[in-house]
Amino acid sequence: MSILANKDTYVVIQGGVAGVNAARRMAEFCYLIKRSLNVLAFVYPPDAGKTHEIPYGSGLVAVPIYKSVAEATKNHPQINTSLVYIGADRAMKGGMEALDDSHIKVVSMITEGVPEKDAKILGRHATKLGKVFNGPSSIGIVSAGSCRLGVIGGAFDNLVLSKLYREGSFGVITKSGGLSNEIIWICSQFADGITTAIGIGGDTYPGTDYVSYLDMFENDPQTKAVVIVGEMGGDLEERAAEWYGAKKRRVKLLAVVSGFCQESLPKGMKFGHAGAKEGLKGEGSARSKSDALKKYGAIVPATFGALGPAIKETYQELLKSGQVKEPVEPTVLPKLPKTIEEAMKADEVMVAPLIRTTISDDRGDEPCYDGYPASELINKGYEIPHVVGLLWDKRLISKQEAEIVKRIMMLSADHGPCVSGALGTIIAACAGIGLSQSVAAGLIMIGPRFGGAVTDAGRFFKYAVDNKMSVDDFLAYMKKNHGPVPGIGHRVKSLRNPDKRVKELVGYVKSLNINTPCLDFALEVEKITSVKKDNLILNVDGTMAAVLVDIGFPVDSLNGFFILSRTIGLIGHWVDQKRQDSRLIRLFDYLVNYAAPKRREVPPLK
Amino acid sequence: MAKVLEGPGMGLMKKWGITVPHYVVVTSVDELEKLGHANEWLKKSKLVVKAHEALGSRFKLGLVKVGLDLKEAEAATKEMIGRQAGSITVSQVIVSEMIPHKEEYYCAVKSTREGTDILVANCGGIEVESNWSRVKRLTMEVGQQPSEEALERLAKDAGFHGPLVKKMAQFAGKMFSCFDSEDAQYLEVNPVVLREHEHELIALDAVTLLDGDAKFRHPDWNFAFAAEFGRAYSKHEMEVMAVDSKIKGSVKFIEIPGGDTAMLPAGGGASVYYSDAVVARGGKLANYAEYSGDPPDWAVEVLTDKVCSLPGIKNIIVGGAIANFTDVKKTFGGIINGFRKAQSEGKLKGVKIWVRRGGPREKEGLDAMRALKDEGFDINVFDRNTPLTDIVDKALQK
Repeated sequence: MSILANKDTYVVIQGGVAGVNAARRMAEFCYLIKRSLNVLAFVYPPDAGKTHEIPYGSGLVAVPIYKSVAEATKNHPQINTSLVYIGADRAMKGGMEALDDSHIKVVSMITEGVPEKDAKILGRHATKLGKVFNGPSSIGIVSAGSCRLGVIGGAFDNLVLSKLYREGSFGVITKSGGLSNEIIWICSQFADGITTAIGIGGDTYPGTDYVSYLDMFENDPQTKAVVIVGEMGGDLEERAAEWYGAKKRRVKLLAVVSGFCQESLPKGMKFGHAGAKEGLKGEGSARSKSDALKKYGAIVPATFGALGPAIKETYQELLKSGQVKEPVEPTVLPKLPKTIEEAMKADEVMVAPLIRTTISDDRGDEPCYDGYPASELINKGYEIPHVVGLLWDKRLISKQEAEIVKRIMMLSADHGPCVSGALGTIIAACAGIGLSQSVAAGLIMIGPRFGGAVTDAGRFFKYAVDNKMSVDDFLAYMKKNHGPVPGIGHRVKSLRNPDKRVKELVGYVKSLNINTPCLDFALEVEKITSVKKDNLILNVDGTMAAVLVDIGFPVDSLNGFFILSRTIGLIGHWVDQKRQDSRLIRLFDYLVNYAAPKRREVPPLK
Repeated sequence: MAKVLEGPGMGLMKKWGITVPHYVVVTSVDELEKLGHANEWLKKSKLVVKAHEALGSRFKLGLVKVGLDLKEAEAATKEMIGRQAGSITVSQVIVSEMIPHKEEYYCAVKSTREGTDILVANCGGIEVESNWSRVKRLTMEVGQQPSEEALERLAKDAGFHGPLVKKMAQFAGKMFSCFDSEDAQYLEVNPVVLREHEHELIALDAVTLLDGDAKFRHPDWNFAFAAEFGRAYSKHEMEVMAVDSKIKGSVKFIEIPGGDTAMLPAGGGASVYYSDAVVARGGKLANYAEYSGDPPDWAVEVLTDKVCSLPGIKNIIVGGAIANFTDVKKTFGGIINGFRKAQSEGKLKGVKIWVRRGGPREKEGLDAMRALKDEGFDINVFDRNTPLTDIVDKALQK
């Protein structure tokens, strides 16, 4: 048996993140003792209607979130306990809501820093209703082998080490949450473990004191002894001592009290929990408490370190008198499934990767491009074209090559509002569409007829050069197999009206005295085609393509240079329209050739 | 509990209808001179000048002057401001009117487990302590308000007669309202006096302790709480407090001059057991410290830095129980960073470090601590199998 929490305890958790973390811990305990998750509901109005997914073993349990305790208990009438994880300023309202719900018999408040007055009101309200209000500042309650409320007990490994999977004979009541695990551990190492351990919280006036819980332990036949971990301040330990001395008690009482150091500290210097404050005339001091406990027959070890041996001695007596028997340990205990990360770390599992990358990695403190840290590239004077080189071709291009790339980008960043890409972006921007979608609308236009000829132009020029074709052979090959030569021809520009961008780029590249077989070939092609028709000139796509192939970029990346450059212009158009707060636009009828049939009657549906 | 200085304390009482003497809190003589022009009472009344700081025994230190006129009060102000008393520099004085009176009474309201006690006595000043049996008590349950009749009965019990019964009952009633509405934990007026030739009870001196946790619902608490141990907080203590107010979980730090055993334990409960163990072994604490509630590692690092900066320390106790949810590896990471920083600054020479801990990721955390040996730290690391305070025994072994 146990007190307060057992196999029939079902829980609603009031609050957000901290409550969810507690539920995870509680699920680990439920998994260890092979019971289903005892958290049936959360109350957290902002997320009402959703669920929290709580890991249980290797699966997930969906726990619904409600807007009120009443709604939770209506849907889950088995709920009889509430854990309050609400902030200190709203904790009292939440606690009251739980206490006033007829299904709920125990409310344990984990919230710290609750005003003393609020805690007193909650405690009194619970007493009036015949319910238990535990806390505030409680670490939780755990009954070995049956129920865990809150994070008390710690990590899964500790639950096993402390033998919380089965009942022992010792009850524990502690103000300190941090020491609760320590005592549970000690009870499991020096004796047969615990029945129930309760964190009552370190505040001055906890909702339920030692005496109330001592009464419960006295009435729980499985509990043979109770360990109290006390602190200076208040009079709860003195009251516990009086309770123990008032009549013959079935349970043995062991106690430690902290705060003796106070005697040798400068006057008025106090520390520890909020409740650890000495009253006038030495009342509430560690000494007065430990004296009172000793006086009424409790076992009070001189130091915390002596508690283990004292518990052992008590346990040996209980064994000898036959009141307890050596526990039988289960042979197999469930093991908490490891997460993939844990299992991989322990070399227990191999996972086939889903994707493979060969260009970048940002798992460290900064991204690395082809292995080079971004900050180091910056600090050593590298620029955007080098990053393009690293991510598109996995090589650190030269300063000269970077200059060519930069010039290509500058020349093709924008081409006014009338071209397909910019128009697409502008129409979207005027329709109130956001930046990324509007830019995408413009980028969608890039294809065989607009800006998207770079890759094909590069591919065919390279094909010709690689195969040492003559211009005539090349043109014949293209005519036979593919049609017009990509990169040749312009809608408005011609020999008499040349494209300044092409002139600029060709002039620069030729001035560098580098080997440019593709560009040279393209210019030869232009010589022939422009004679046939004067707008069949080498256009900017073709020029870019030839130059980029000449400086070693892979054919598949070539359109990327146009896409990247033009994105700069498309973003500009979107921002421009946005700033002007442009109106929605639509085509005028006179810009449309309506070639559809004239209006006519619809035949009956057959 | 949060102590409030006299000025703001009297302000709260005034708010709830309790008559207090005229008073001003000033930070310079100029201010007092200007106030003298604007306030008749400063010219007409005899005055009391007191250092307005969290100091005990101000009388003995010469930081209370009585029976002054305005000129003398100005002189006293000039003398007190800037004076050093222990670690506190007097930066404010409170100047209040002296109330000529014959009788002195006592009234206090305090929080108890069951509710609230209202205490009244028909003697006051130092007389109360020697006549504690004359203090009468009215016990109110949680949520209960005292009735007029009950308060009058209390005044009668305490030995008040005639019209004073009603006056004292009303005074105690207002004290209760102030206590209840302001989330006080202790209010004491000693003495309560009756001004000569008038019929009004006045609160002459007040002790006000408020519940700091209730600050969120008192936007008009525009005053700072005073340090509770008769000295101002040190620079390092205030730096840790500033961190504490910003984080999830907590870090706490109090310096104890003259000690040689530095404390860096986890948990509000365990930390005191560790301190007890040091005292029990005849050691001298150099500080109190505590971190809990899974604080961020940088906060623990700040705390570690302060602990390592304590002068003349021989041992550092990095103790802790088996944690529930504080990540041992993460918090130890903060401590390790703090140790490394201290070492690089030439601190920790000849200082022995003692570690004992359990809890989530205890193995990783303890291994990281053990590895510090290779970096030249004199460190001894123990796990959950070593009882909690045994590292103190080992550290202080002669």
